[in-house]
Amino acid sequence: MKKMLAILLSVALVLATTAALAEPVTVKFAAQADSTPATQAVVDAFNASQTNYMVEWVDMTNDSGAMREQLTTSLKAGSSEYDIISMDVVWAGEFAASGYIMPLDMMLDDAGLNVADYNAGSMASGNYNGKQYVLPFFPDLGMLYFRTDIVSQEDAAKLIAGTYTWADLLAMAETYAGQGGTTTGFVFQAALYEGLVCNANEFTSNWTDVKGGLEIMKQFIDSKASPDNILNYTEGETANSFVKGESVFARNWPYQWGVIKSEGTITTDQVAVAPLPGGSTVGGWILGINKNSANAEGAFAFMQFLNSEAGQLIMSEQGGYLPGLNKMLTDERIIKSDDRLSMVGFQNALKTTIARPVSAEYSKVSDALQQAIYPYLSGSAEIDATVTAVQAALAN
Amino acid sequence: MQRRMTWKEFCFILPLLLLVSVFSLYPILSSFSYTLFDYQTNNQAKNALYTAATLNTMLYVEDCDYLVYYLNKDIPNVDESDRATLTALVDKLEAQKAAYANSEKTISLPAATDQEISALIAETEQVAQSYAEKYPTLRIVTKSGQILDEMKTCLISSNFIGLTNYSRLVSDDRFGQAVGNTFVFTILSVSVELLLGMALALIMNKAMRGIGLVRTTALIPWAIPTAVSALIWCYLYDGTSGIVAALFTRLGIIAAPELLLTTAGGTMFGAILADVWKTTPYMALLLLAGLQVIDRGLYESSSIDGAGPIRTFTSITLPLLKSSMLVALLFRTLDAFRVYDLIAVLTKGTPETLSIYAYKMMIGQSNYGYGSVIVVAMFAMVALIAFVYVKVLGAELIQE
Repeated sequence: MKKMLAILLSVALVLATTAALAEPVTVKFAAQADSTPATQAVVDAFNASQTNYMVEWVDMTNDSGAMREQLTTSLKAGSSEYDIISMDVVWAGEFAASGYIMPLDMMLDDAGLNVADYNAGSMASGNYNGKQYVLPFFPDLGMLYFRTDIVSQEDAAKLIAGTYTWADLLAMAETYAGQGGTTTGFVFQAALYEGLVCNANEFTSNWTDVKGGLEIMKQFIDSKASPDNILNYTEGETANSFVKGESVFARNWPYQWGVIKSEGTITTDQVAVAPLPGGSTVGGWILGINKNSANAEGAFAFMQFLNSEAGQLIMSEQGGYLPGLNKMLTDERIIKSDDRLSMVGFQNALKTTIARPVSAEYSKVSDALQQAIYPYLSGSAEIDATVTAVQAALAN
Repeated sequence: MQRRMTWKEFCFILPLLLLVSVFSLYPILSSFSYTLFDYQTNNQAKNALYTAATLNTMLYVEDCDYLVYYLNKDIPNVDESDRATLTALVDKLEAQKAAYANSEKTISLPAATDQEISALIAETEQVAQSYAEKYPTLRIVTKSGQILDEMKTCLISSNFIGLTNYSRLVSDDRFGQAVGNTFVFTILSVSVELLLGMALALIMNKAMRGIGLVRTTALIPWAIPTAVSALIWCYLYDGTSGIVAALFTRLGIIAAPELLLTTAGGTMFGAILADVWKTTPYMALLLLAGLQVIDRGLYESSSIDGAGPIRTFTSITLPLLKSSMLVALLFRTLDAFRVYDLIAVLTKGTPETLSIYAYKMMIGQSNYGYGSVIVVAMFAMVALIAFVYVKVLGAELIQE
């Protein structure tokens, strides 16, 4: 009788354990809608790779300003609605300072991961008060696209090597504008929004030459090298102009390569990529864990998976995202799936990345910079007053 | 006949009073209380209304944890003789962790505890400094600086600043500019709307064939949600493909099509035009209601007395329309004064009006203290506008 009871009990125990195993913990992942299948594929691959956690992707708005507001509202209220949070690189300082996200140093250490193995710009933008708060989602950087069928070989070599100045580019833009069916020379982002800060960062060589950089920026705007309504250009207008073959040069993010492939009236054979004279502003997205999350281990396991070789391959092959794990930049499988990485100009651009100001009050700094620069570019402020205002904004 | 309310009657209106206090008074009072604090949600020392010394236990425990973690990594790397010092420090930090691990996120901080924690921070700094030469690669030496600085911010003092936010408002140029923009937008858009709305109302008031159709079509712009109509105007104003921008350039109203959405003057003009297009029907509707209650007999007798159309308008229509006009103007002015959605969608924030500025401060920069001051200033201005309207236009209305 006792034996029977023991057997029954152990059977019940086994059943209970399997029942518990069959129900993995749900981990909520807040990220923007992905126009590629990559994010979903990584989530699926992670869910299939283990049985403890089930990552569920919560679709956020594609307007990043609105997404930040949605996140801060939820996090400010102490909600644990989202476990893993995808952040624009410039938000991490604020989220860390506000106490919304969790420092990861000890988890990284326990998992045997090394900060230096990941994209430096992405990791640095999530390092606040000496604590590491993020892992990369996918890095991004500004670069110069140009038309190889219009630009002379000599100029092309100069561009790809990065041995040119903004003034050289201005001269080239003026020369080549109108050739090969184009209507303008150089398109970039000068509308009153975050993109203006990214562009000004590159024009001023990471704010080391504010006066010279802004002056040359204005020369582009005033001259025939850029369209009349360049002050209204965001990435959308830029890509639109370039892929329709209307411009010779364009400053944009790596995604434009995919746009040329999918909907360009020009082909990628007519295009090459080069580093920018003042360095490439780092953008992209990073991953952090909600401080109020009850599933931090699961969240970290997913972030670790995404930044493993397997995860990086999926992100690259299915979405064309740049790897955040440095050793994958030269991985043959990645280069095979991502033809951009085989370009010398692209690899050169990756070597000259610069960050935007890192601050707990980044939106304030960015806002002040936009308010200082835009009036000068649109002709309603003088350069000296503008430089003073920019310096004041940066000092903040 | 006035008589005093009985208790029983008072009980019947009590729910109403409660609702008013919960839904109106409470938000207003909390907005006012925000203005007296340096309240910024992106700074853990200022992210609530602290009136007394407080300890940020959550961050404090996390920082203690970091120091323990560094020290435990360091202990195997120092000489036998130095281990005791580090182990003693670890024990102290562990004791702190244990003491606060299960408390609330923030707790009140007595002076004695403050001293105790400050002493511990100083001791850790002391240890880090004393080992700097002997073991320059220790984590406690290289990495503890920022952690200790952060630990000091866990000791939160009151962020009550009285009227400092208000004095900042006085010297804030951007606020002055926002006030200017808001008034220009309000005055121009409401006066144009009044003129056009009056004309529209007079037409709609005529008994003629197909008037129902005219009234219905005229109301269409008002029926479209502002966000949608702003988006439509955004396309129309676009520098490359916008038809309105192209038309205005042809007519010589603007020098180049892209100016409408890029320059300060252009965006103001564009925002006013879009607002006039949208809300003129609303103004017309309010005025039409006023026109319809004017006694027809008055017009008949004035025409028998030989008054022309202009005399009729100034002597009969206008005076009798005064109360409707006051209501229409008051509604529209206060509406225009708080404009947000139209500008937010049309140009993402230029011209910067008071609502936009307050929004950028509070939501964009997480500065609720100063943002609330802007809101309170708006509240005062709205009250002033309403007061002026009633005084100037509606003196006799109140007497009735």
